Amino acid sequence: MIEILSVTGPASVQDLGRFDQYRFGVGTSGAMDDVALRAGNIVLGNDENAAGIEIPMLPFKLRFDRDMAFALTGADVEAEIAGRAIPPWWRSHARTGDILTVKAMPRGARLYLTFGGGIDVPMVLGSRSTQFRGEFGGWHGRPLQPGDILPCAASIATIGDLGVEPAEITLARPNAAADETIVRVVIAGEHDRFDATTQALFWSSSWKITPQSNRYGYRLQGPAVKPKAPIEKRSHGIVPGVIQIPPNGQPIIQMRDAQTSGGYPKIATVIRADLWRVGQARLGRKLRFEQTAYAEALAAEAEMSAYLDRLRTNVRLIAEIRTCR
Amino acid sequence: MPIELTDIARLAQILERSGVDKIEIEEPGLSLKLVVDTGPRMAASSTLAAPAPDHSVIAKTDVAGQFLAAHPWRDKPFVAPGQRIETGAIVGLVRIGLLYAPIVAPAAGTVDAVIAEPGATVGYGTPIVRIRPLDASSPIN
Repeated sequence: MIEILSVTGPASVQDLGRFDQYRFGVGTSGAMDDVALRAGNIVLGNDENAAGIEIPMLPFKLRFDRDMAFALTGADVEAEIAGRAIPPWWRSHARTGDILTVKAMPRGARLYLTFGGGIDVPMVLGSRSTQFRGEFGGWHGRPLQPGDILPCAASIATIGDLGVEPAEITLARPNAAADETIVRVVIAGEHDRFDATTQALFWSSSWKITPQSNRYGYRLQGPAVKPKAPIEKRSHGIVPGVIQIPPNGQPIIQMRDAQTSGGYPKIATVIRADLWRVGQARLGRKLRFEQTAYAEALAAEAEMSAYLDRLRTNVRLIAEIRTCR
Repeated sequence: MPIELTDIARLAQILERSGVDKIEIEEPGLSLKLVVDTGPRMAASSTLAAPAPDHSVIAKTDVAGQFLAAHPWRDKPFVAPGQRIETGAIVGLVRIGLLYAPIVAPAAGTVDAVIAEPGATVGYGTPIVRIRPLDASSPIN
């Protein structure tokens, strides 16, 4: 068990998401940076879909009520366990009574805290993710509060400290700038209802992530992008990653807690392999969209899978090397 | 099939355990030769010159790979000469494939020197950091 001692902002229990209920209007929820959650679970020897805690704001503090392995992935952090500093993307072992303190997030927007065995909250509609909109799943369907005591599934593994190369390093984009996140997108349904000049504006602009951005969606700020003629559409199915253009011409990227339908025109969709990069882009940061083809989007996904495959193999190898000795 | 650093590390471990001192692998476009160094280690020249007992302790690697003095996300190395560290503190990393294995301080003390070159390929038991332990520097004994 783990006890939350201090929490800032809406930290929540998330697994990879709820994918079987979409047709009934139940959104996916799930980790905003699914690569980080998977990496944490892989290095702990967990099922990759095991639930962890997604932490968007610091400080955060918790106490371990039994010996347990845990991992920190996602954002870069300044963290301490029992007074000992731990690097980012790190697996470590806590003893009963140890306190984990996470003080600052110098890079990225979301930290994932995973535990050996995973957080053992009930599966609701096929997932342990918190569904904020419907107030179910996760820990009583709500953000974590001080005093919450989360159950963890049993894990026999006693494993030593080990770091993982952050996905951002392995999967670095060639033209990435320090202050800008480049996100690959494929064009969407209403792209052609914007004239060439407006389309060019959409591609060339640097889009600032406004404070009105969260797990539901990111509202961006930049030059107004408006269609040739106003578009009135009935609500239709949309997915996380869809970039809508509301009447004010300021794009919205739908994220994990988005509604399953919407009526705004869609200019493009963030490819699945880059959705985690959006999840790690913090408020005030700039996004730039790069048009990509469907085949390239699939290739990007294969590259992401290859990183995780290699990680699985490496973790197995190092466990072998250490037991050999 | 490309050979990764992790494969070499594993081979080296297998050689060491089985008492075999050499292995050569040849495939089209690839040749690998591993020789286990079983001879006595050369002592550091300072210890040869000075007969005074050396109380320093050495933080060593426990896996083969590439030595990283700092986390790739940080500019600042884990330790610098003169720094006070506690037992178990991380003094560097060994990159092995996508993993970073920690190199830890065997005793509390003051960092004397970082012996290994950042980015260097290191083996099992390579000395990385020399530490002056707290007890040895105590004048009471």
